[in-house]
Amino acid sequence: MHRFLCLSILLVGLFANTGSHATEVPPSISTADDLGPKVEQPIEFPHDRHAGPRNPADAADPSVPAKGGMEINCMYCHTGARRSAVAAIPPLQKCVGCHQTINSVRETPRIQKLFEYWDAKKPVPWKKVHDLPDFVRFNHERHIQRFVFAQNKPVQEACGYCHGDVKTMTVARRQKSLSMGWCVSCHEKDHPVDVAATKTTHGPNDCWQCHK
Amino acid sequence: MIENGFNRRDFLKVLGWGGAVVALSGCGNTSVQDGAEIVTSYVEPPEYALPGIGVYFNSTCAQCDAGCSITGRVREGRVLKLEGNASSAINRGKLCGLGQAGVQAHYNPDRVREPLLRNGDKGEAITWDKALGLINEKLNGVKGDEIAFLTGAVSGHVKVLLKNYLEALGSKNHYAYDAVAPSVVRAANKKAYGVEMPRLRLDKAQVVVSFGADFLGAWVSPVHFSQEYAQFRKGSDGARGVLVQIESKMTLTGANADRWIAIRPGTEGILALGVINALDAAGLSLPADVAAVSKAYNAERVSKDTGVSAEQISKLATLLKARTPSLVIAGGAAEGYKHGSQNAAAIALLNRVLGNIGKTIEAPANVPFPQVAVTTGNRSSVQALNDSMANGKLKVLFSYGVNPVFTAPAALKFQDNLKKVSFKVVFANYLDETALAADLVLPLDSALEDWGTAVPEYLVEAAQLNIQQPLMEKLHAGTRGTGDILLALLKQRRANEYKDYEDFYSYLRSAVVKNKSALGGAGADDDTFWGETLSEGLVKLPASNGALSAKSSAAGLVLPAPAEEDSAYPLHLIPAVTANLRDGRHANQPWLQESPDPLTTIVWDSWVELHPKTAAKLGIVEGDIVEVTSRSGSVKAQAYLFPGIHPDAVSIPLGNGHTALGRWAKGVGINAFSLLDQVVDKDTGELALNETRVKIGKTGKRVMIVKDEGAAGGSQAGKKIAVSASTDEVELSGEV
Repeated sequence: MHRFLCLSILLVGLFANTGSHATEVPPSISTADDLGPKVEQPIEFPHDRHAGPRNPADAADPSVPAKGGMEINCMYCHTGARRSAVAAIPPLQKCVGCHQTINSVRETPRIQKLFEYWDAKKPVPWKKVHDLPDFVRFNHERHIQRFVFAQNKPVQEACGYCHGDVKTMTVARRQKSLSMGWCVSCHEKDHPVDVAATKTTHGPNDCWQCHK
Repeated sequence: MIENGFNRRDFLKVLGWGGAVVALSGCGNTSVQDGAEIVTSYVEPPEYALPGIGVYFNSTCAQCDAGCSITGRVREGRVLKLEGNASSAINRGKLCGLGQAGVQAHYNPDRVREPLLRNGDKGEAITWDKALGLINEKLNGVKGDEIAFLTGAVSGHVKVLLKNYLEALGSKNHYAYDAVAPSVVRAANKKAYGVEMPRLRLDKAQVVVSFGADFLGAWVSPVHFSQEYAQFRKGSDGARGVLVQIESKMTLTGANADRWIAIRPGTEGILALGVINALDAAGLSLPADVAAVSKAYNAERVSKDTGVSAEQISKLATLLKARTPSLVIAGGAAEGYKHGSQNAAAIALLNRVLGNIGKTIEAPANVPFPQVAVTTGNRSSVQALNDSMANGKLKVLFSYGVNPVFTAPAALKFQDNLKKVSFKVVFANYLDETALAADLVLPLDSALEDWGTAVPEYLVEAAQLNIQQPLMEKLHAGTRGTGDILLALLKQRRANEYKDYEDFYSYLRSAVVKNKSALGGAGADDDTFWGETLSEGLVKLPASNGALSAKSSAAGLVLPAPAEEDSAYPLHLIPAVTANLRDGRHANQPWLQESPDPLTTIVWDSWVELHPKTAAKLGIVEGDIVEVTSRSGSVKAQAYLFPGIHPDAVSIPLGNGHTALGRWAKGVGINAFSLLDQVVDKDTGELALNETRVKIGKTGKRVMIVKDEGAAGGSQAGKKIAVSASTDEVELSGEV
């Protein structure tokens, strides 16, 4: 009996641990929005200013402060999205490349902080907002090539399937659960193979496509 | 070892109930994390760098001395995976498991990270300036012959700097040590063919007879030989090559052979002469000097001496006579005796009478720059070093790339003699046994961080200068490259000569670029030539082959009678050089410990390999902890019964049994070097690795051996899944 007791305690301990972990993040396989927690970033990057729609009242001259967004393509900064597994956080050089000529906001606190990092040649320690478990390999390239380049969907729509409506956000926040069930719910749907095709396919459902 | 009271049944019962409870409570989580990790982007990215996409750089593998060229995949500035570089004729795009584990040598958490100075029992971290200054100070007033430099095999520009440094110190004491080098075979080759390491054309041979050369596992250049072996197996004209392996303990090559012949330890030369005698009987005309020696070795006598049946001998002779050209190789198993030179010479005679010299044994490529050609290591050098230490002749010793405290045979008392040297500097990647005995430890860059060049010993079509270049930034700021340390030390002596070179990189670049016309870059501008060299990872030197000079005579070749029985120590110890662990320098790379030994499937441990008959006589079963005692030492390890070993022999793999080196090596297994008697080959003075005699005793303990092989072991649970029979039971006339 003693043996059973010992083993039981051992194993209960083991599962209690994972069990309690399981209750922290409730599973969700719905496609409904599932807002992640707010993440403090070293610089509060305004996605809305960069990617949001132009305000028709804004002047074309960049030296005049604008009210609306600049409609910059997501892939102007996240250059990896169309050609790599990761979309990539842009290098600091990219931020500075534009901002050194935009004098209208040069002295704002966020831009001052940006140049502090630049002068010290230190990368900004951005917090990862969409961090999948290490056993999941998500590939941006496959999705962007399919939806943006083959199906001709607007970039913000394609990115938005997983990232939500980033152009309305300042600091990006997770919008979807990113659980396996949520991924599969889209992979199960039929999607046209390209813009002109009537042929449709669903996304791959092999385990190894993501778990390799 | 299972010591507690749980058994499998209890475990499953509890697991079953527990599992049901957990299932009811609901599980499943995505552990998607928000804001837990930092994602670091480039400040200014190099133009080729795209996160998530690998970049490939060529370099040279430093895990053994074969000199395979490698291609490393680098992503986000980290090297992830090594593969072979297809441009190299040596490995033609392939890489072995040992080479693959090179990344674990690099990322190893047990690397030394800063210079350490002895303070009592501890190493105290000091700065590089202080460390180099201290060396300079300790060398003051020390005469040249009181200084020695111990290395492994060394070539390329590091060798040039090393030589110049010793010259600057007025010392001639460079000892190149390799505990498992084929050094007796080299000397025998030199006599028989005029070169130490001829090119062995397995691909051209119809029959290969290997006397214990594990060329597919751990001998000389295994990746290259494996590819030649594949061609040999395919056959040039549709005739599949036949491999016969003759040895006392089965190697990986032996396991691949068509015929594996177990031979009484030490009688390889006798068998070679017996085969020559049988060839004579089969009608092959022999040169007079060979016939004079071989006539005494008739089948009956040879069979009695070697334990190989007369039928086997005549079959082997028939095979060799019928299929030409053939290739006969002498390997580690044949050379490891006090008459190892004679064994190797007798085996070389076989090549001569079969007319293989010039056909399957070719002259190696010449290295046009002898100053960068390899200085190979041997075992006699550590004996010479040990003698001069014992005599108190040495005051300062540098050691780089070897671990003699671990690998020198116990009988030398190397560690005690080392204490007589007043200042010992060890260049080290890890705190191994030798580094722990040092006064000053200089931490080295890993092979994937350092610059260098290398010219391998075994060259294929033409000589090549292998480039070693960093695949990524240094992991630890406090380590330095070997070349950089030597350059800094040289600047202390010859400041003027080396003042133009800021670091080893600039020295290397200038040395290579200066000779660009000889290196095939005539007319190219310096930057282009250097860029292409680095991109290629090697420079092919113009092909020019030397000539073989087969002038050896069989006259004077005398082979001793088989070793007499030793009633106190009845068994021959054959230390096994395994493809994974070699001489033990890589024991701290867990992939190598974890990948099962190809023949026994044992992981993470040492074992004592015994023939089932011998074991039955001694009452030993698998898993018994046995004590193996030689005249020089004693070890305890688990017994493994294996039919691929001569009943008179017992084998223990080398490489494990470290008392230092790192977390994955320390305390794993036992050190077979600690059993070795100091018996040397009479001609060369090389330590005879297989001459140690041992006895075996039971300790009464038994363990469960951790191995991949099924619980039923080689017995296949009595189901005869793959049936085997001893070669003596087979009707050989129908076989190859």
